[in-house]
Amino acid sequence: MNRFRRSAKSVSIFMVIFLSFIYMPVQSVFAAMIETEAVMADQSLSHAREKVRAFLQRRDVQAVIISQGVEPLEAQARVESLSDAEIREIAARIDQLPAGGLLGTVLVIVLIFFLVLLILDVLGVTDIFTFIHPPKK
Amino acid sequence: MADRRIDLRLSQILPLIGFFAGLLTGCAGLKPAEVPLLPDNVPAYHELSAVPFYPQEAYQCGPATLAMALSWSGLPLKPEDLVDEVYTPSRKGSLQMAMIGATRRKGRIAYEVSGIEHLLPEIAAGHPVIILQNLGLSWYPVWHYALVIGYDLPQEYFMLHSGVTSRKLMSFGVFEKTWARSQYWGLIVLPPTRLPAQADEKSYIKAVLGLEKARQYQAAKTGYQTALERWPESFQAHMGLGNSYYALGDLKNAEHAFRKAADLYPAEGAAHNNLAQVLLEQGRKQEAMQSAQTAVSLGGPLSAAYQETLNEIRGSMAK
Repeated sequence: MNRFRRSAKSVSIFMVIFLSFIYMPVQSVFAAMIETEAVMADQSLSHAREKVRAFLQRRDVQAVIISQGVEPLEAQARVESLSDAEIREIAARIDQLPAGGLLGTVLVIVLIFFLVLLILDVLGVTDIFTFIHPPKK
Repeated sequence: MADRRIDLRLSQILPLIGFFAGLLTGCAGLKPAEVPLLPDNVPAYHELSAVPFYPQEAYQCGPATLAMALSWSGLPLKPEDLVDEVYTPSRKGSLQMAMIGATRRKGRIAYEVSGIEHLLPEIAAGHPVIILQNLGLSWYPVWHYALVIGYDLPQEYFMLHSGVTSRKLMSFGVFEKTWARSQYWGLIVLPPTRLPAQADEKSYIKAVLGLEKARQYQAAKTGYQTALERWPESFQAHMGLGNSYYALGDLKNAEHAFRKAADLYPAEGAAHNNLAQVLLEQGRKQEAMQSAQTAVSLGGPLSAAYQETLNEIRGSMAK
């Protein structure tokens, strides 16, 4: 597990940097107007919850959840108890998953794997990424 | 002896035959074309005879089809007007994103249409559809853009402006197979006053957003208004309308749009934030302050921007 944690960490650091480069929201320089695009991404909350729920019900995602020794129903139940901000965050990340075709299947699988681990961490099921639940000082 | 030689040859040739047979099935060459699920609410025959035809130059089916579609939409353009924007010399072709980008820069809605069941209603509604075909094979692609201008369901063929041929007829089977290889990529080019026959709210507003991104604010404004006629409660369309008016310098109408968005969705901070900004620029600082405070109190992922707006208003009041 320790070895896995170490390798997961380096992968995660790479992914965080990589994804934040690609998906940094670009705010306009003039004034503090919220652009239409930002409103598109910031979908209504119920929409975001629905998206996360649907994601966790995907067969490939469930396989990853089970491989982590977690009951999919349990994961689903815990998602209901997440805060609005966390749900929005996860939904935004699901949006970033490529629709397929553009990137290789392998990369998509890696992304799904990463995302599931991230969600499980947020849920408090696993503790792979230290930046999710940093120890209170 | 003679028999043995034949045997030898056969054994040498057999794997080859097997290989080619495998290739054929692998490329779906022997598979009969699946009859697509046809919608029953379209007429059996429809042809758009008013769509102009421009024959293409070598490799330049992209500019040619786009020029035809844009001309149909009311912008009389020739293929050569679009070559610089659309054609990529090193690829000897035009990328789909370039086609979409050029459409937007001309102030037209670029709306993607995928699959025969979605294509037919568009033709029936009078909208010609640009499609990307692979006329070759999956492993030897010959990419080609054509403009679908009609269909005949009983006779099972489509009419296309394709290459140097005006009104080329193509059977359902060939059409389906060549289009399938591009994952059924299709595009309609519409003036912003028109909705696609099968308009989906999210996709349409995304298409209008593309106009806004291309700085075609006048067209974007019209597009959002068209969207609001169909979906009067769309938060994104109200916000987009406000932002387009704002970009055009029309603060009064921008204010009206953001106010509408804030009334319909009082929990969306972005509406209050933009309303505050527009009020501030009209010198109505007290009202601006109120709206900005509402936005900040709502919080959410954009709360940093709301705080910035509030600070700006406070700063201007201190002056």
